[in-house]
Amino acid sequence: MVRFKNRYVLCEVVAEEPRGRHCIEDRAVGTAVRDAIARAYGDYGLACCSVSFTVKYLNAYTGTVLLRCRKDFHRLLCSALPLVRQLESRGLRCPCFLSTLHVGGTIRSCQKFLIQHNRRQLLTLLQNCTNEEERQRIRQSVLSCSLTEGQSQSGDEEEEDDTETD
Amino acid sequence: MSGAREKKRAKKMRNQPASVTMPAEPGSVLAGGPRPCPPPGDVRSEQQYQQQKFAHQSSGPPYRKDQYFPREQNRGERGRGRGGWQGGHQSASEEIPRYITVSTFAQARAAEMKAMLKAVTQKSSNSLVFQTLPRHMRRRAMSHNIKRLPRRLQEIARKEAEKAVHQKKEQSKTKCRKARRRHVNLVAEFNRRQRKNIWLETHIWHAKRFHMVKKWGYCLGDSPTEKCYRACYRAMTNHCLLQDLSYYCCLELTGKENELLKQLARICSVDTGLTFGVARCLSGRFQGSLNLYRADRYPKDTLGPVTFIWKPRDGSENRQLWIWMHPALKQDILNELKEIFQCSEPEKVCIPEPLTTSVQEEEQMDVVVSLGKKRKKEDKEGEKTVPVKKIIGDGTRDPLQSYSWISQTTGVVISDRTMEILRYRLIGPLSHCVLTETLKAASLQTEMADSESELNKWWVENCKDSEKVSLHQRQTAIFELLEGISSPSEMPPGTILGLTVGDPRVNLPKKKRKAMPDPEKYQDNDKVRQLYLEGVPVECAHSFIWDQDICKNVTENKISEQDLNQMRAQLLVPGSQLDLGPCESKIPILLVQQPGKMAGEDRPGWGSGWDIYLPKGWGMAFWIPFIYRGVRVGGLQEAAKHSEYQRTPHTPNDFPDCPAGMQFAKELEATLLEKFKRRPPAKRANYVKLGTLSPFICPWGQLTKNWERRMNDSEEFLCPSSPHSEHCATEGNGFCDPEPEVVKEASSETGEVEETMEITSSEGAIKREDDPGSQNFGERDEAMTRDFVVLRSKKLLMQVAAWCYPTSGKDRRIRLISRLGQKEMTEDVFLPILMRYPRALVWVNLSLLRKGNPELHAMICIPTEDDLLHLSKDKLFCGPQEPKHRDIFKHKVQKLKEEKKKKKKKKTTKEEEEEEEKKDNVEALESDPPSILDKETTEEHEDLILGLWPDTLPDMTSHCSRSLLGYVTRGDFSLAAGCGEALGFVSLTGLLYMLHGQPADKKGLVLLRTPASLQYRFARLSIEV
Repeated sequence: MVRFKNRYVLCEVVAEEPRGRHCIEDRAVGTAVRDAIARAYGDYGLACCSVSFTVKYLNAYTGTVLLRCRKDFHRLLCSALPLVRQLESRGLRCPCFLSTLHVGGTIRSCQKFLIQHNRRQLLTLLQNCTNEEERQRIRQSVLSCSLTEGQSQSGDEEEEDDTETD
Repeated sequence: MSGAREKKRAKKMRNQPASVTMPAEPGSVLAGGPRPCPPPGDVRSEQQYQQQKFAHQSSGPPYRKDQYFPREQNRGERGRGRGGWQGGHQSASEEIPRYITVSTFAQARAAEMKAMLKAVTQKSSNSLVFQTLPRHMRRRAMSHNIKRLPRRLQEIARKEAEKAVHQKKEQSKTKCRKARRRHVNLVAEFNRRQRKNIWLETHIWHAKRFHMVKKWGYCLGDSPTEKCYRACYRAMTNHCLLQDLSYYCCLELTGKENELLKQLARICSVDTGLTFGVARCLSGRFQGSLNLYRADRYPKDTLGPVTFIWKPRDGSENRQLWIWMHPALKQDILNELKEIFQCSEPEKVCIPEPLTTSVQEEEQMDVVVSLGKKRKKEDKEGEKTVPVKKIIGDGTRDPLQSYSWISQTTGVVISDRTMEILRYRLIGPLSHCVLTETLKAASLQTEMADSESELNKWWVENCKDSEKVSLHQRQTAIFELLEGISSPSEMPPGTILGLTVGDPRVNLPKKKRKAMPDPEKYQDNDKVRQLYLEGVPVECAHSFIWDQDICKNVTENKISEQDLNQMRAQLLVPGSQLDLGPCESKIPILLVQQPGKMAGEDRPGWGSGWDIYLPKGWGMAFWIPFIYRGVRVGGLQEAAKHSEYQRTPHTPNDFPDCPAGMQFAKELEATLLEKFKRRPPAKRANYVKLGTLSPFICPWGQLTKNWERRMNDSEEFLCPSSPHSEHCATEGNGFCDPEPEVVKEASSETGEVEETMEITSSEGAIKREDDPGSQNFGERDEAMTRDFVVLRSKKLLMQVAAWCYPTSGKDRRIRLISRLGQKEMTEDVFLPILMRYPRALVWVNLSLLRKGNPELHAMICIPTEDDLLHLSKDKLFCGPQEPKHRDIFKHKVQKLKEEKKKKKKKKTTKEEEEEEEKKDNVEALESDPPSILDKETTEEHEDLILGLWPDTLPDMTSHCSRSLLGYVTRGDFSLAAGCGEALGFVSLTGLLYMLHGQPADKKGLVLLRTPASLQYRFARLSIEV
């Protein structure tokens, strides 16, 4: 198959202040990264990376960001990411930095990695917790994050509904 | 297209997680600000840091509280699918201890994981499971055999396979094909399908060859599936076109002649031509056709055109009258007839028909019920079960309901004999050849074939009477004489010939071939000439088809196709003529000549032919033999073309003043509008720019009204600056004394009423989209009916027709006028006409002078003097152009669109807000009223469509550069005339205005413009009477 190959960079926004999470938005992250590239590589680099550059997924609560760029220039992007110092949105400016977690060829692989990563984090959290109640909470949330048989079935039913309405 | 693509994409992205951002909040609230972090307890790790962050967050101001809502609700309101990120909104109370932060942190991760898991595990592409496998894992026949897949995928694949099977199952029938095609089941299935829409007896034959449409409660063939547009025309002009007109409805009136005539005179008028009491028709020799009106309402309230046949007098006091009409008109006419004859009670004694059908139906019901049982059981009872009877006649009739009504005072009986009598129409100059070849007069028979059976009992009895035998012989002789004529149009119009014929299936030719006239038989002897001149004598018009008992007998004792074929198979010499002898059925039929084109100068007698009336049940037995004589079969389209080339109005399209016609126009508008809306807006014709006010419907009411107003406004156009204008007016007044003022007053009043009506209707138009055909609509129609009449008075039409003729070099018009005994066109002649018919339409035909192909709803306009001058100078002048109009609604539509978009956006944001502020009811209440207002404002303009005028139209006559006269209801390139031809209606007032102003040699020249074009074309207008 002939296609444009992309690289997906999964990174984490580490804000210095908690309210910085409000700045985590598609546009803010995108412009910040672009700024960083422009600073590091000039117009040429910016243009190279801007082709098909988007923020594919973003989660403000966990600070996860998934960026996409062309495979040829992903090194430019990766090397520019540490230069992001702050995010700016709605007139707010919050200092933060991006730490790269994973670079993958497909969204799917990134998603898989993210699952692993989160699981690891939860486990360490569980190990480090100090009192019983905390432990209980974490256990609950760990339990809640699995897909049950019933849910997947319900998803299938939905699908069927879809086909019928079509 | 884009919708489908979006849908596909949505389906693909359904399981993908959406981005999650913090809910939007004003920054000021955030200003709660960072507090100093609590001193970290353990070794600094990433998580710890995060924890603190969360702790911070949650210990912030109480705004987070608002975000709390149950998870289920969130899911529901966010819409299904889109495996969104659902956790994380959980918050904690104000003073949050540390452990809460851990939970939030953990929950955020967990929710994200869940979303990711969903995205990863559930496949989102449209491909099947085995298609997603890497190549090296693919195996042969994976799609069929699930077990060839890796075990982890088998479950999913099984589901997929089930789904596909399931889909297929839905399509397939419960039984196997063999069972379905078994005769009993097939007939039961057919009977079931006939209960909703009536099937003609030739339905199966037609369904295999025609595009079928459901119309007027029938399943009818619209046009053949093969390419035969021109071939059908050729058949009409050169050979013979066959059409099944059994769907036409027959009402039978029985009663004393005087009583019938007295009441029937009320619903028709001498002005329009025939009445029911015309001597030639009353005797039963000829068929008549006329227009019906509501009782004593002529010229208003048309009911529609009918044809009628009187049964010849047979000594008894009661006369029988058949009135044949189009099914669309039936209900109106039936109600009117019931009213004028005061036939309210349904009568049961007189006609045993309902009883028998009920028995039949019950039998069918029984069998249908028994079909549901298991087959084995059926086999046991197999011998006993009655074979399913095919529905003959009207399958939708309620057996318990009576279809005849009697009047207590006069004893007149009205019975609805729809589908009891079949009617085929043969069109074309050789239709009599087809008839004479197919039908053979019944042989005389004096003894019964079988003493037990009822077969031919009536005929045997009849043959014992020498008088009747001689009548039969005379009828046969005349029928055989028909071979000698060269075209049916030579017969006197509407000639009726009764006949009794043998079974036409017996002498079926071996091969299908065209019936051609036999030159030897063609002899110009005295007898044929006498037939031309005098027509068929009265007694020969008698037929046994009038007798219901005989018809029933004939229907019930028909030899089935199967028996006939068996007998054929047993013939000693295969393929030889089958001689049934005394068993051959005798069928009474009625032949009625159709006159074809009678009006106008060109193509006299075009489209003439014969109608054949049969008792029901014999449809296919006559149909196939006709087909074997090489006739072509036409459907509704061909019938429309036939009447178009004859230039006669077609029912119900061309009767805008009768309810059925209005209904038709409304349906047509709906379909055309639907079709228009299906195009993307950029590809639609902008009718506002083209200056077309109503491209989908002809607003006759407003057209006539506008012309009337225009005439009233400028009285001087009638008598332009003439010194004796007053005299003229007074003369007009004197001519028809009290009328003009009354008319004027009435008209002005109705005008006001209409205006108010229009306003209400424009308001009511909001509802229109939802329920077409509701009460609202009906009211509007009624208003429309009262508006205008269609001029059908023969005398006036002749007068106007004479005025339309241009004078050619030899002073043709004057000769013509003198021939017709008409007056020259002067004010004092046409002023009274205008006074009497202020809002009338005239049926006209137009033939284009040069280029151009008129279309449906093309506009007929008045040419200016310059146009005529240009035409006479320039031989190649095609016609003027309409200057482009400005679309004054465009910005409105755009504004509306923007508003809608905005509203949509607002709505979504509002929803979100509402989600968030579920508890704050106050705010919700506040936000509600403006949204309602919004809705109202937009709904007011709901009917604004880009490129179409909204409901209220401006003055139609003067909207374009050439004033509008009328509309074309049917137009096409005419194969008969070799140029574009159109039929339509024009306003009488406008027509007279135009004729008055035109020079003598240019009379009747008009301009035609199709709705989607700016080009006008010249056409000649004429009226054929």
